[in-house]
Amino acid sequence: MTAPQPLVATRDLGVHFRLSRNTVLKAVDRVSFDVMPGETFGIIGESGSGKTTLGRALVCLEAPSAGQVLHQGRDPYALSRRQLRQHRRNYQVVFQDPNAALDPRMTILRSVREPLDVAATMPRAQRDEVAMQAMERVGLSPEFATRYPHELSGGQKQRVCIARVLTLRPSVIVCDEAVAALDVSIQADILNLLADLQREFGLTYIFITHNLGVVGHISDRVAVMYLGRLVEMGETEAVLARPLHPYTDALLSAEPVALPSHMRTSQRVILSGELPSPVSPPSGCRFRTRCRFAQDLCAAKEPEWSEVEPGHWAACHFAGTLPVSSSPLQGVAEVVA
Amino acid sequence: MSAALHPARVLRRPSALRRFLSWLRSDLRAAVSLAYLLVLFSLSVFADVLAPHSPIAQSMDMLAPPDAAHWLGTDDLGRDVFSRLIHGAPMTLYASFLAVGVGTLIGLPVGIMAGYLGGWVDGLTGRIIDALLSFPSIVLAIAVTGALGIGLTNSMIAVGIVFSPGLARLIRVQTIVVKNDLYVDAARTFGMSPLRIVWRHILPNAIQPFIVQVTLLLATALLAEASLSFLGLGVQPPQPSWGQMLARSYGYMEISPEQMYAPGLAILFTALAFNALGESMRAVLDPTRRRSD
Amino acid sequence: MNRRQMLLIGSRLLQVVPVVILATVAIFGLLQLVPGDPAAVIAGEYATAERIADIRRMLGLDRPVWEQYVVWLGHAVQGDLSTSLITGQPVLDEVLRRLPNTLLITVLALVLAVVIGVPLGILAATRVDRPTDRIVTTIASLGVAVPNFWLGMILVGFFALGLGWFPTTGAASLTQDPLRALSHAALPALALATGGIAEITRQLRSALIEVLSSQYVRTLHAKGLSNARILWQHGLKNVSLTLLTVVGLVFNRALGATVAIEAVFAIPGTGSLVVASATNKDFPVVQGVVFVLVLIVIGLNLMIDLLYSLLDPRVNRR
Repeated sequence: MTAPQPLVATRDLGVHFRLSRNTVLKAVDRVSFDVMPGETFGIIGESGSGKTTLGRALVCLEAPSAGQVLHQGRDPYALSRRQLRQHRRNYQVVFQDPNAALDPRMTILRSVREPLDVAATMPRAQRDEVAMQAMERVGLSPEFATRYPHELSGGQKQRVCIARVLTLRPSVIVCDEAVAALDVSIQADILNLLADLQREFGLTYIFITHNLGVVGHISDRVAVMYLGRLVEMGETEAVLARPLHPYTDALLSAEPVALPSHMRTSQRVILSGELPSPVSPPSGCRFRTRCRFAQDLCAAKEPEWSEVEPGHWAACHFAGTLPVSSSPLQGVAEVVA
Repeated sequence: MSAALHPARVLRRPSALRRFLSWLRSDLRAAVSLAYLLVLFSLSVFADVLAPHSPIAQSMDMLAPPDAAHWLGTDDLGRDVFSRLIHGAPMTLYASFLAVGVGTLIGLPVGIMAGYLGGWVDGLTGRIIDALLSFPSIVLAIAVTGALGIGLTNSMIAVGIVFSPGLARLIRVQTIVVKNDLYVDAARTFGMSPLRIVWRHILPNAIQPFIVQVTLLLATALLAEASLSFLGLGVQPPQPSWGQMLARSYGYMEISPEQMYAPGLAILFTALAFNALGESMRAVLDPTRRRSD
Repeated sequence: MNRRQMLLIGSRLLQVVPVVILATVAIFGLLQLVPGDPAAVIAGEYATAERIADIRRMLGLDRPVWEQYVVWLGHAVQGDLSTSLITGQPVLDEVLRRLPNTLLITVLALVLAVVIGVPLGILAATRVDRPTDRIVTTIASLGVAVPNFWLGMILVGFFALGLGWFPTTGAASLTQDPLRALSHAALPALALATGGIAEITRQLRSALIEVLSSQYVRTLHAKGLSNARILWQHGLKNVSLTLLTVVGLVFNRALGATVAIEAVFAIPGTGSLVVASATNKDFPVVQGVVFVLVLIVIGLNLMIDLLYSLLDPRVNRR
């Protein structure tokens, strides 16, 4: 039996921005991973890690400067412009800021209906119907149809964005910090909605966030990003319970309460130092300037991205051998910044 | 899906007309300017009916002072000044709108294209705009008019050409701002073609400062027409134009001052009205601006 | 002047070159706008076929367009702006002869605009929303809307014909008879200045209001600095750059607006020259005048740009 093909994949993906004649910002640098149909794939990182750029690249909003993005094994940029426009409707995104994602001059109904208007395969009345159904499905009553975005709350606007994306029945939805801008009480509602929709429509999610609690709650697999590179990837349970990379470890210890009790650690690891400038990252391993286990090797040579355990990848010279907090090897004193 | 949930049945916002009227009620300056312009427009349309005499009929009664028959007296060819004043209104309005129309026709697409496409298109357009903006405007208008041939339409087309770089630059800036908004990205993910994105999203959101500027430019066009007609390059005799009337009246300033003041005041008030309307619109359409105008 | 400043000047100069070239293309292109056959248009209604052919050869219109352009540009750079079709005289000579008169009233107008506009702007900004401010703002609105040549006519009526303080028409050489030159230039400059006064008043007022209401200035108030000192040290220094830009703008406009003023006051300047030649279809003269004026405007803008970047620490960072 052949292995299922990844729905979305990246191969050594790089997205670079030229800031001036001499400086290039590699927001995403040699990132490779697969996302399987039906799964929820989480991507964690601090701000400045490049995760938003990665998300945009996955839905063809940023063209790759190096490497490839693959949709069902094929390169979307190999298509003609018109074919690409048709193709990309299957790969959608829900943005962090629902306010900015809605055209302030369009009514809610028009915004939700817009993807259908673009295809123009149905008569107008039918498009209205489908849009209203999508709104109903996300929990918005029909009276919202004639309102304008500025009349809605943040949570309601995000529901509108989800409804809008839903009309296309896409296969993949990238959620870029989809709940970060919302009140904590609303976040749970939206997450539950997203989970329901996934079950009902067989969606595949790529969930980008800085919030470990969220990612631990809903993802099947998770990848950790730092300064444009992946540092760890694997099943959520494995990564959060037995992190291989010191960065993951530090992130985990900073948010102990959000994790299920058996994953919590009693010892805190505090990240020292500032996030280095993404324009000129540290030599060798990027994380070494804030890593409490840094050795000379870390400055000299970049760590390989390797499968340290089955299905569990990491980029660290000492992956698997470090006494990270949650591992059975305890006893290392914490380093205070 | 039950019919009761159909959008047409649900709540509606106050109509555009009602919002417009409430704006007028709150802004006296806008209301007065608009009223004046409406009066002017009606005068233009009904000029033949409202003017007591023909504007081009000469008589032997030259440079007569104002009396019951000729409310503003007559000019040096015995023509009734008041009637000429009224007939100058449609010329003026036509001229202003023509110039602004030409400016928009050229400037709007160029500016949007430069802003949306960026890259070398933007760079080249920017240079061309800079080059054209370094021409003193009226001089350029005169030069183009000379090339096209003197007359009202040609001279106003020339003025429109002179307006277009400034307008292009304005809409370009707005386009760049809007183009980076998230809802434009969202539209791209839906597979919207660039042209449609420009039409549906960028234009409606970028157009407001443009509309304000266009309204203000109506005043500039008006003054330009007055200058050009004054110099004999615009409206050709015997058609009346306020600028042209000023030119004629200069020689007889001491004898017949009302010939000089009437058209001048007409130009002044109309320009003021366009300006006032534009400023009021700016206050409404651009609420993010600091209240410092 | 340090090395970085020199690099800055150099790069600005370099940036100007494509603009100048494009401007010359536009000026040359004016001739192409003429509907029909330019030679026939120039020759006039009663011209013979011979005359038309002569004109065509004289203007080089039988050559391909790009070649015409290169030839024209080559001549222009050397100072040869061709000859007038009407008088046969070299265009450049005529333009240079008239230029001082135009420049005199333009510069004088600019000076007036600054001298009157700046105090008015300061006055309005320091008394925001009070009666003084409203009066000043209204005057500024009027200044923008009034046709300046009409104002010129009224000034002539009052001060020249009525009171006899100034001559009504003409101009005099500044170098030979400065006092007379200035008295001839006074009223025209005043009429020309109205737009500039209004513009400077408005822009200065709005920029000053923004500065004076900023957090930084409010802390200065709290520290006890007097109003006058705040105004002088912080307010004006910050808006001086805005002022510089506005002055450039006003100059550009004034240079164009002299056209009508020169007609009112019968001043033999470049404005009246361009009007006459446009009316008579004397295209080489039209192109010549525009060429010289454009160079002046670009030159002035360049100077302002350089001053701006040398003075503004933020722009320097590039």
